[in-house]
Amino acid sequence: MNGKPVRVLVVDDSALMRKLIPQILQTDNSIEVVGTAIDGNFGLKKIEELRPQVVTLDLEMPGMGGLDMLKEIMRRHRIPVIVVSSHSTNSATATLKALSLGAFDFVAKPADVSSRMQEITRELIAKIKAAAHSRGVQIHSQMDLPTPATTQKSKAAVAREPSKVIAIGISTGGPQSLQYLLSQFPGDFPGSIVVVQHMPDGFTEMFARRLDESCALNVKEAQSGDLLLAGRVLVCPGNRHMKVKKLPLGDIAILSDDPPVNGHRPSADVMFKSVAEEFGEQAIGVLMTGMGEDGANGLGMIKASGGLTIAQGEQSCVVFGMPKAAIERGNVMRVVELDALAATLQAQCGKHRRQAKAAGQD
Amino acid sequence: MTQFSDERGGELRELFFETAQELLQSLNEDALKLEKTPSDREIIRSIRRTVHTLKGDSAAAGFRELSELAHAIEDALAVETHGDDVSLAELGFVAADTFAAMLVAYRENGALPDASPLKSMVDRLASGPKKSKAHGNKKASTEADPEIVWTEYERLAAANARADRKKVFHIVAHIHPLCAMPVAARQLVTNALASVAQILGLRPEAAAIAETKRIDLLVATSQSDALLISKCEIPTVIKKAECKVLATAEPEIKEEQSTVEAPAAETVRETSHTEAESAGQTPRGHADTTLRVDAERIDNVLNLVGELIIGKSMLQQTMQEFAARFPKDALRARFSDAMAFQARVLNDLQRSVMKIRMVPVEQLFRRFPRIVRDTAQRCGKEVNLEITGQDTDLDKGLLDAIAEPLTHIVRNAISHGLENAADRARAGKPATGKLRLNAYHQANQLIVEVSDDGRGVDTAKIKAKALQAGIVSAAEAEKMSVQELLELVFRPGFSTADEITEISGRGVGLDVVRSVLHRLKGTVELDTRPGEGTKFRLKLPLTLAIIKALLFRIEQRLYAIPLNTVAEIARAREGDLHRVDAWEVLQLRGEVLPLMRMGQRPAEGMDNPQTKIFVLVIHFGGRKWGLIVDALDGEEELVIKALDDQTVATDLVSGASILGDGRVVLIMNLASVVARFTGGRESSPAGAFPPSTGRAMPEVRQ
Repeated sequence: MNGKPVRVLVVDDSALMRKLIPQILQTDNSIEVVGTAIDGNFGLKKIEELRPQVVTLDLEMPGMGGLDMLKEIMRRHRIPVIVVSSHSTNSATATLKALSLGAFDFVAKPADVSSRMQEITRELIAKIKAAAHSRGVQIHSQMDLPTPATTQKSKAAVAREPSKVIAIGISTGGPQSLQYLLSQFPGDFPGSIVVVQHMPDGFTEMFARRLDESCALNVKEAQSGDLLLAGRVLVCPGNRHMKVKKLPLGDIAILSDDPPVNGHRPSADVMFKSVAEEFGEQAIGVLMTGMGEDGANGLGMIKASGGLTIAQGEQSCVVFGMPKAAIERGNVMRVVELDALAATLQAQCGKHRRQAKAAGQD
Repeated sequence: MTQFSDERGGELRELFFETAQELLQSLNEDALKLEKTPSDREIIRSIRRTVHTLKGDSAAAGFRELSELAHAIEDALAVETHGDDVSLAELGFVAADTFAAMLVAYRENGALPDASPLKSMVDRLASGPKKSKAHGNKKASTEADPEIVWTEYERLAAANARADRKKVFHIVAHIHPLCAMPVAARQLVTNALASVAQILGLRPEAAAIAETKRIDLLVATSQSDALLISKCEIPTVIKKAECKVLATAEPEIKEEQSTVEAPAAETVRETSHTEAESAGQTPRGHADTTLRVDAERIDNVLNLVGELIIGKSMLQQTMQEFAARFPKDALRARFSDAMAFQARVLNDLQRSVMKIRMVPVEQLFRRFPRIVRDTAQRCGKEVNLEITGQDTDLDKGLLDAIAEPLTHIVRNAISHGLENAADRARAGKPATGKLRLNAYHQANQLIVEVSDDGRGVDTAKIKAKALQAGIVSAAEAEKMSVQELLELVFRPGFSTADEITEISGRGVGLDVVRSVLHRLKGTVELDTRPGEGTKFRLKLPLTLAIIKALLFRIEQRLYAIPLNTVAEIARAREGDLHRVDAWEVLQLRGEVLPLMRMGQRPAEGMDNPQTKIFVLVIHFGGRKWGLIVDALDGEEELVIKALDDQTVATDLVSGASILGDGRVVLIMNLASVVARFTGGRESSPAGAFPPSTGRAMPEVRQ
């Protein structure tokens, strides 16, 4: 992170934002805003001209909008793009679309953005730096995605207890990687998956819906008391923590408003710890692409209580931060690249399926 | 890390106020367009985008109420099918007005305006087709009695209990008002029930209990509901308990989940799709590559250019001295080459900088469709606005300054100038009145015209009003020309409106228009034909920063006036001047010219009738005046420097400039000079002299 500052282009149709974003970015010496653009057309021209390393992009613009510009950037330049998104239903949809098109990450402007400016500034700066030092964008466009093993969801499938509980902690680069991973599982996958994806409030519901549409598993944003079922994926909602609990009638997810851990809520560490405590050797912890080190310690707890711990390999990570931290701490038992991950997890879950209990449920 | 200083925040807010104005402008424009083509999706999207930007910007600037309101509108507009009872165009107008009022309140730290009309429109819009509520807490019913959603696990437990042939009840226990500790109440109720039933679910959870008024329990039991209720109703703790059988409409958890979510997801996907489509093909006018710069910074550059020009003159004079001293030196030619080059670049530089300040009049004109629409609606008239010449450039500062006066004139034209449909029909005109805004350049001036095809101004009425208001005496009025009578409408306190309306005619108005124009070194004229229409003509210098000026001397002092005010320069001798009452006059080609002598009159006896003088004939206030000066000093482009009040304690001078040789020239403020000579009432010359006839106004339409 030394040497020349990161060259950033700011694309936003709001004159105010074109002033504000450079202003807050320039509080960091290692970032240089080389230009701003009012819409997609100008943005693309400025990319040719100024050769930025990272682009911050507003999605709602007249003329060439953000999504179209993003497609072009991905096609022609492959520069990491950070979407600057606001709080609305439409924005959430568009933002997630952008992520699936290959945007590196996004920063949400909350309604009270003015009072949380410092926090947002820090986040944006960190993401820009991570983007600049990532090894290019990994794109799994719609076409690259394998068709879900069974497109028809087994709606009638009876709720079954899972053979294993897979806890996934993931951050930057997560949306695409998760979509890629989850779409490879068949609908009758015997494991249950809980996911902590670092994402703000208001985006996770839509995110879970999108995942649900694109894979055979049943994906939903978790609510307190939701059952961990085979073939089901529970995504922790933004701004809450998720823990798990074994109860007589089944295993459930519990949401809480405890303070952020490692600066994150949801935090992968919180989830890993509770999965380790409740499920022991029935647990599989997976730490995937993302900045920082959230989950690195929690993975160690799963390992210590007899579960399996997996880190996504560097080759397939958008940011090899969290997995690296876990590996360095000796908390990882296996390192698996993204394309092999689904197969690995299937093999693990199939092996120790709790046949007796599953039958009893039926 | 990042400290947002107050100063920075203030700067941000300033920028917000500025950009928000533009956003509101485009909101107005889109609403107008939408009014014409109500179902144009593209326009609706454009409105939504504008509101979206406004939402983000206002949140960043810390104006939460505005942001939330914008958010509500944005979400309401995101729904593709709207109820027909809300006109989106109307929503656009109301939103623009409400936002504008909020901006004013924010800027002045005043109380926020009442936004309830807008809110109710948004609510009606949002509650159009019910299924549109795609997002959010669809399960939280709006009734006073919030519905409890039992978790999957609790429902699973209930299903199991039923399978065991137990009854499952939902008990609502209302906490007694005297009970100070809801958490204790919860514990007591749980304990009481535990003996007769199995508790499957309990709300609220411990953390949220402090404020609660009720406790919800999900229980499985083989006992009767009456027993459960009697167990629950603990005196002074629980006021009342209700017990209902839990509906069994949820046999399969998964099924329930997917049926509720599916249709919602459907609508959302649809909007995202159309949005992606629209993003690619929505040109909002021509995309502008505008760079936003503080006017102050440009003025700074302009000032520096001014200094450079002075520097150039100094260099030139030095060069001349050098040439005189060393006529043979070879360096001379090279110096003068360099000088010529520098002069040329300087010239270009000056012109370029000047250009930066120029903006097309369109920026001002674009407000008028909305203003005309509203005013016409309020007056119950139909008006068709025609705008031409919007590409004409004008100094940004001037543009901002004439916005108010122009608005006044336009409103005036609609409320007074244009007749209502019935009167128009009687006069054989089409029912829809015509209003025209036009702008063009003429001789280094910008002309803005507002013309209507209305009833015209009735000079007889003006005369009567003026007499009634005591503005002129009967004798004066008799002597006045048509043009002079028309001039009366610009006097303070004059209004021809029979009734005072909300829109115009409060007695302040045209006089204010005129005084603004004078401050800007411009003029306003009125031209009318009874029954055919009226035309207001505003004349402005293209820029306030640089003027072409005529330089002259009065008692060895150097002065200047804008060249375009000078009609001609006459030479005369002291002996040619006559006195009429308190005025000196000059007879010039059959016309009597009232004179203003700036300097001292030569003492009695000392005056030589043969002394040559110059008389500058100037146009001002619709007539000609003569300005007596001692000597002429040529014409020059002057970079005007404002004088602050401490430096100059008179309003007779409006600015100063520095010449190449370092001399300071004062620029005369003709409006004040004329006012000083006429004693502020302007009545004396009209009374004392024969009117200067229509010829004084060559621009008047024949």
